[in-house]
Parts: sequence; structure tokens; C-alpha cells
Amino acid sequence: MPWLSALLAISLVGAFVTFLTGRYARWAALGVSLATLVTVLAIMMEFQPSVNVNGPGYCQQGGFQFCELHTWFTYAAPGGGFSVDYLVGIDGISLPLILLSAIVTIAAVVYHWEEKKDPHGFFGLMLLTNAGCIGVFVSLDVLLFFVFWEIVLIPMFFLIGHWGGPRRHYAALKFFVYTHVASVTMFVALLAMVFLGDWHSFDFVNTFGRQSQDAYLNPIVQALLFGSLLFGFGVKLPMVPFHTWLPDAHVEAPTGGSVLLAGILLKLGGYGLLRLASPLLPTGRELLTPVMLFLAFASIVWGAYLSLAQRDLKRVVAYSSINHMGIVLLAIALWTQLGVMAAVLLMFAHGLVSALLFMVSGSMHHTFGTRDIPSVGGLTARTPVLSTMLMIGSLASLGLPALVSFPAEFSAFLAAWNGLGYWVLLPLMALVVTAAFYLWMLQRLAFGPPKGIPEKAHDLSFPEVMGMSLLVGLIVLYGILPFLIEQVIPVSALFSVACSAGPLHNGLIGGACTSFQW
Amino acid sequence: MIVPISAYLPEALALAGALLTFLMDAAGVRQRSVVGGFSVLFYSLALLSVLGDLSVVPFTLFATVPSSLLSAGAVGPIQFTPLGLLWQAILLSAALLVAFASLSEAEGDREVPIFYGLLALATLGMLLVTLSADLIFLLLSVEITGISTYVLVAYARKDPRALEASMKFYLIGALSTAISFFGASLIYGAYGSTALARLADIPPGGNGTQMALVGLGLLMVGLGFKVTAVPFHMWAVDVYDGAPDHVSAFLAAGSKKMGIFAMIVVFVAAEDVVYTASSAWALYVALGGLALVTMTVGNILALQQRTMKRMLAYSSISQAGYLLIGLAVASPAGLAGATIQAVAHVLMKGGAFLFVAAMATLGIGSRIEDYRGLGHSHPVTTASFAVLLLSLAGIPLTLGFVGKFYLFASAVEKPGLFVVLAIAGLLNSAASVFYYARVLRIMYMVEPPAEATSERRWTPAVAHLADPGNDPSAPPSSAPSAAVAVGESTPRAPAKEAARSLDPITPLSRSNLGMRLRDEVRTIGIARWTAIVLCAALTIILGIYPTPLIDLANHAANSFFSGLP
Repeated sequence: MPWLSALLAISLVGAFVTFLTGRYARWAALGVSLATLVTVLAIMMEFQPSVNVNGPGYCQQGGFQFCELHTWFTYAAPGGGFSVDYLVGIDGISLPLILLSAIVTIAAVVYHWEEKKDPHGFFGLMLLTNAGCIGVFVSLDVLLFFVFWEIVLIPMFFLIGHWGGPRRHYAALKFFVYTHVASVTMFVALLAMVFLGDWHSFDFVNTFGRQSQDAYLNPIVQALLFGSLLFGFGVKLPMVPFHTWLPDAHVEAPTGGSVLLAGILLKLGGYGLLRLASPLLPTGRELLTPVMLFLAFASIVWGAYLSLAQRDLKRVVAYSSINHMGIVLLAIALWTQLGVMAAVLLMFAHGLVSALLFMVSGSMHHTFGTRDIPSVGGLTARTPVLSTMLMIGSLASLGLPALVSFPAEFSAFLAAWNGLGYWVLLPLMALVVTAAFYLWMLQRLAFGPPKGIPEKAHDLSFPEVMGMSLLVGLIVLYGILPFLIEQVIPVSALFSVACSAGPLHNGLIGGACTSFQW
Repeated sequence: MIVPISAYLPEALALAGALLTFLMDAAGVRQRSVVGGFSVLFYSLALLSVLGDLSVVPFTLFATVPSSLLSAGAVGPIQFTPLGLLWQAILLSAALLVAFASLSEAEGDREVPIFYGLLALATLGMLLVTLSADLIFLLLSVEITGISTYVLVAYARKDPRALEASMKFYLIGALSTAISFFGASLIYGAYGSTALARLADIPPGGNGTQMALVGLGLLMVGLGFKVTAVPFHMWAVDVYDGAPDHVSAFLAAGSKKMGIFAMIVVFVAAEDVVYTASSAWALYVALGGLALVTMTVGNILALQQRTMKRMLAYSSISQAGYLLIGLAVASPAGLAGATIQAVAHVLMKGGAFLFVAAMATLGIGSRIEDYRGLGHSHPVTTASFAVLLLSLAGIPLTLGFVGKFYLFASAVEKPGLFVVLAIAGLLNSAASVFYYARVLRIMYMVEPPAEATSERRWTPAVAHLADPGNDPSAPPSSAPSAAVAVGESTPRAPAKEAARSLDPITPLSRSNLGMRLRDEVRTIGIARWTAIVLCAALTIILGIYPTPLIDLANHAANSFFSGLP
């Protein structure tokens, strides 16, 4: 059964159907997102958390499952030419992110149940974003990857530009141009990798295990290509200093747009680094690891301090995303099994938590007409449900044990301790700032005497509560039982790391993957 | 080998179309539906014949070129090649597109037959270009199209802007022809022949190469005017801007492709054989430089435009730059890429200019800001236009992406410094997104402000209808859009519109999608609407499933190269 094609077809066709349904759009959207989630869950049931290097095809031998291969079109050239394939497959790194996309989308659809402004367009574009992201997560062909990568941009551009806040046009254009420049840079680097590396194919499964050989790209070229990819993916991540589009986009985007942006889109950057840049250019990664570490530290510290300085709740959450994605970058830069696991877990956790927090800030704007933190206070007394959601979100985001971020951040810092020693204190110090700005924000917003709350302020509506509760439930569930999601990751993480160990890296060379056993 | 007369069926149909149209004019038959209908019929038959020859369609009743002829080489000044036939299909599609969409133009005056007749003559010239095996024949065919299009630009005789454009076009065109023929005379001097096949040989005599190089350089300038390569592009924007909208569509979609094909047959052979062998890089450098400058300058200037047609004209120049990459690379893959991109360009630019034409007949201004809110009032055509713009920007799943990918990949793959072209092309694509996205933003995200609407579009006869109080069924928030819907259709038939709107059975509320769609088709015209939507649909379909087109292009390009000595 072609599970992944079915998943893609459901989400893509569903998006277009939703667009055409007019006033029943929300039901269509709910149906499509539920069908997507059910398919993802079915895939999870079938998924084997192991790697079979003796599998039936090279895609399976490359550590992937649910592989499907069809030729899309061929590029003819004197040197033989090659085909551009529809090659999809998943492993333990992509599966949690696919699950995340499905969950976040369904929560966003439910949250926006009473959307009044062109609901068919709104839901259709949200589902299209989701479909594009799932497409990126399942693609194993460079060109297919890029196709889905670009598909994601367009609906998000319209979501921000049509349903956004007062400065939405500026934000939409900035988002589109900024990220498009990044993706073109990425595309140039990917093409160069394919042509200079003599792949004779665009599928990158083929090249796992080959990169360590001496004949592969020379170190300088690898470093250049890795640098371009780091820029391309780093803009999406976003990492300092390429993060400036993010606060604008978030602040102006409608709540559902912000939720998808923070919940799924940012993960594309991390996923690209995990899937393409790091394993395929091992020497480049080794050479640029200090740069990555520096940028990760900068993102962590800078994001934390900037959040501290914000008055707008949405900006606080946006900058805290930069902080968290900095930790993801740190974990990726370490490139150990634990680091990769931590990065995936952390992206999963951040997707749930930031989605919840953006919903809270959207509801706050809805209820009080403002997101300005100093001018509102005492939510606990007047709007207890909103206040509860805010508290759970904040506590989860600052890494309270028993909530989903804790195991992720803990593994990230454990991996950092293993790899970096006392340097880990630097990001840990920033974690204190993260805790500080969340607690300070809670103190000002949730507690104290009621202030700035209109007389007629009502608490959350039923759909809003349902959307948030779904996320809260999962945040708690995966916080207490992290192995539910964590168990699929380690084999793929180890395989990815072992197969891409460059010549500079603790003596492992080529061949490591072919003898891989688990 | 003797060419059977039936092999010239497409050309004969174009010629017959032209003559018949002029005869109809003399006989006083000037209805657009009759005259245009004949043209559409003739082009369709010709296109069917060519597609049958290419064995694209299983329907081969009109397939008239025997396959032995395709490999027979030149017969006098004529040569049938798979590449030529494929480009015939491309050029005929452009003509068919414009002729078909023009059926929706306002019902005619005396000029209708002139338009269709000249269009048919220009098409004839383009078809002959694709058959050329001789430089003089080629340049004369180019000239047939040239002269027809000079007049075509000015066929609306009362419009001073069109007359100015035509004059500019004519002067520049005459200059470029003179330069081309001067180049051809030098080629003749170097080779003692004007057969294109000879260009693939090393010229006899000691200084032959120099003379041939100068001749080729002059030809590059002369044909460079036709393809609007920078720095020979100055006329293009004024002409596209001043010409009637459908003529602009034809110029961008049709006659520019003809120039590209002429450059292919003149330069690719010369590059591939002579100058690689004697390691003279002049041609490569010149063509590569032309491509680089053309796409960059076109893009930078497009960024600054405020009117839609000028923006599209400059973007068309930058698209010509991408096409020139295929020529500069001069490999089978490059040629195939140029062919695919040419198909994409016909659809994208043809559809885009037709959309502009449709909006102009609705009384919407020419500035880009005037397009605000169109996404709500004209959902289907605007969505099609958006698809075409995304394709121009090279966003995946459109044909524009496939063409660019092919071109850039061919540049990366060719050893040497050609990778510079690919990188420049990619950076240009990234930059071009900015101005295409700006149009999308204006069409979809900016609501038309009510005051501006009243100034620009309302006419006193129907202004009161837009008052929300007048129409209880329309919610107040939808009033502006309803006003727009009424206002847009007024320029054509105000009284009838007003009467229809007063009819209680058809309320003003346009919340119903089906209603809006019907309105849209009616105001734009069914033929033009179909043409625009078809362009967008083909762009997407071929973007998702490009294999048949790629196979055709590869076959044609390979046979072109295997035909070289």
C-alpha cells in the first residue's frame, strides 16, 4: 500500500477540495485534517523503529521505510543524463515531524472554527501549507524536496497577506522575498552538490555512505556548499542573524498562520540541516561546526534577551522561538546520536508548545483587543481558562519537567555536555533568562489585580478551548511518556550519524554504514 | 529529394487565411466572428497538421510531412527538421491563442479584417523561418513577419500611442534588417555560400574565420533586436506598451520566439563545430554575455515599473535572457531547455498580456495599483494570471520551473565557465519574485478603496445602485465589491447593465461563486476567458507532467545536433 502517496494525496487534494467548498469549508477542513492524522497514525503503527540494511531496495538499505519510486521526468545530457524521481520514504527523523504537522494543523483548524473572513480560502491555504510541509518531510529526491519547499511559501504568503494584521502587506512580502532568496541559495548549493559530486541522480539516498570517500567533493567546496545550505536552512530555522523576518511575519500573521509558521515551517529548516546538509557534506559540516555552534549560542542568548525586552505577547513567543531553535541548531551541530535525537524531539516539542502559545496570544488579542503585556493584568480572576492555557504553555516552553519540552531540552544539553564540556554553561545561563521572561510575563499578565480588561470580556470560546486542549493534552502526554514519540528516533539518528562520519571525525570512514547492524 | 507540395500545408493555410481575409474585407464581410472564425479554423488545421507530423496527436489525417523528409537535409533553401516542426507548433500556438482570444474583442469596425489578415501574414513569415536552410531565405522570412507586425501595431489607426510605437518599431526594425543583411553579405564573402549548413564548416581561406566572425557578430546584433536582447531592447517596451493589447501578446509570444529560432539555426551550428575546434571563444562569450546582461537588466528595470504592461514587457526581456542561455550553452540539453522554455513563454506571456487586455476592456487602469482587489471580483482569471506570474518567477510545479531547471542544469553541466550563467539565472529568478509577488499582493490583499472606486469606475447611471440601502439582500460589507462588479461592466453597455441590475431576479449580491463566475465570463468574453484559463491550465499540467514535452524537445534537439557534420 503506497501509504506516503496516500498521505500526500489526501492532504493536497483535500486542500483544493476545501478551497471549493464555500460555506462548508470548515467541515471539509476538519475532515481532511482528521483523515491526514489517521493516515499518519496508521503509518506510525506500521513503522519499524529499526534499520534494515539488507532490505529489498536501496532506499530501504539507506535506512528508509515506506519507499516509493517513480520517474517524474528525465534530464538528457551527453554524459548519460539522469532522471528526476518521485522518491519518497520516511525514517525516524521525519516521522515525528510528520505527526507534528498533522496535529498542529488539526488544532489550528479547530481553533479557527468560527473564522468569518473567506473561510474557504483560509482553511484551504492552511491545509496546503500542511501538505507542502509533509511533502518536504517525505521527499528523498533533491528536486522533489525543493518543489515542496517552494509550495509551502505560497499559501503562507497569502495567509499573512490576506488575513493578517495592519502591516500584513509589508510582512507578507518580506517573508516571501526573504525566504525565497534563502531557498534559491539552497537550491544553487543542492544543484552544485549534485553536479560537482557526480551523483548522476537527484535522489540522495544513493549517496549515503559515499560521502566519506576521498573522491567526493574536496573540503573547501564542501565547506562552501555547507555554508550556503546553512544560510538557506538557517533563514527558515531561523538563526541569528537571519531571523529578522520572523517577528514581523508572526506579529502580522493571523493566529492560524502563526501556529503553522512556528509549529511546522520553522522545523523545515532544522529538518533540512538534519537530512541534507549534515549527512551529505560531512567534511563541510566538520569544518563549519564552530560557526554553527557560535550561531547557535548567539541565537539562544540573543533570542532570550530580546524576548525579555518585548511588550507584545506574540513578539515574546516569536523571539522565544528563535531561542529554542537555537538549541535545535546546537544539537544538530554536535552531530551525535543523542544530539540528533534531541534536535528532533525538541522540534516536536517546540511545535506543540509554540502553537499553543500563539493560540493564547491570538485569543488574548481577540478578548482584550490588545496583546500589550503591561496594559493587561489579572487574567486568572477574570478569564481563568485563558490564563490556565497561558500558564501551561509558558511552563512547557521554559522546560518544566513532565511537560514535553523537558526531555527534549534535557537530552540536548546532555549531548552538549558530552560534546562541549563546560561550554554548555553558556546556553544554560540563557535558559535562566528564558525562565525569567516567561515567569515575569506570567506575573504581569496572569496574576495581580485585574487591569485593562473590558467589562464584556468573555473567556475562551468552545472551539478555541478544543484546539488548545488537544495541544495541552499532547504536551502533557508526551511530557510524561516521552518514549511514545522518542522510540522511533534513535536507530535512524545513529544510522544518519554513523553513515556520514567524515574523515576528520573520530576515525570512522566510509563503509561504516554498509556494516551497520542494529 | 523532391518535397511534396502537401508538406507545405501549414504555410499554405496561413497564406490562404491571409488572402481570404483580405478578400472578405473587399467583399464587405467584416464581422469579427466570421473573419476571426476563419483564422481560428485555419490555424487549428495547421496546428493539427504539425502536431500530426510530430506524432504528438494520434490523429494523423493532416500529417503531411513524410518522415524521410525529416532526415533528408536541405532541399534548396528549405529544410524540414524535427526541431523546426516543433517550433512551428509553438509559433502556431501563439498565433492561434491570439486569434482565438481576439474573438472577444469589441465587435468590429473596418479594422477587423486588417488585424486578422496581418496576423496571418506574420504567422506565415514565422512558419517559413522554421523551414529555412539558407541565410537569405531566413532573413527574408523574418522580414515578412517584421513588416506585418509593424503595420499590426498601428492597425488601430486613431490611437497616437500605437502610431508612435509602430514608427519606433519600424525604424528600429529597418535598422536591424540592414545590419543583418550586412552580416549575411560578409558570411557570403567568407563562405561563398549562404547555406546555413555551411556555417558549421571552417571557412576556406586564411582570414575567412575573421570575416565570418564579424558577419556572425552583425547577425547577432540584427537578430538581437528581434529577440529584445539587451542592449538592443530599447524599442521593445515602448512598442509593447503602445501596441493594442492583443498585438502585444502576439509580439511577446510569437515574433520573439521566431527571433530565438533564427538565432538557434544561425549560431548553434557555428558554435558547436567551428569555434570549439579552433578554440575561438568569441561566440560563446558574446552569446553568454548577451544572456547574462539581458536577464539582469530586464529584471532590474522590471522592478521599477509602475504600469502592468511595461512590467510584463521588461520581464519578457529577462525571459529572453533565460532563453539565450540555451543558445550560449549550445548543447542538446541547452537546446531542449530553450525549446521547453519557449513553450512556457508562449503560454505565460500570451496569457498574461491577454489578461491585461481583458482588464483594459473592463475599464481597469494600466497601473499595477489599479489591479487591486481583482482576486475577489474576477476569481478565475485572476487566479490564472497568478499562476502565470508564478510560472514566470519559476516556482515549481509550473512549466516555467521545468524550462528554467533544464536551462540552468545544461549550463551547470557544460564544462567551462557556463556555471556562471546558471548562478546568474538563479539569482535573477530570486530577484524577479519580488515584482511578481508585488502584483499578487495587490490583486489579492489590497481591497479596492471605495472612494477611488467611485472616482474611477462608477458612472452616474448606476451609481445609486451601489448604495447598500437600495439592496436589502446585500450585507453592508459586501457593498463595495458589488459596486465594483457593476462598475466594471458599465463601460461596455451602461444602459443594459443598469437594466439587468434592476431586475429583481438577479440581485446585486455577488456572494454566490457561480454568479460571480458567470459575470466574469460574460464581461471578459468567453473566448478570451477560455484562452487565459487554458494558458494557466497548460502551464500547470505540463509543469506537473512534463515528460511528453521533454521527450519531444530532446528528440528535436538531438536530431538537430546529429544533423550537424
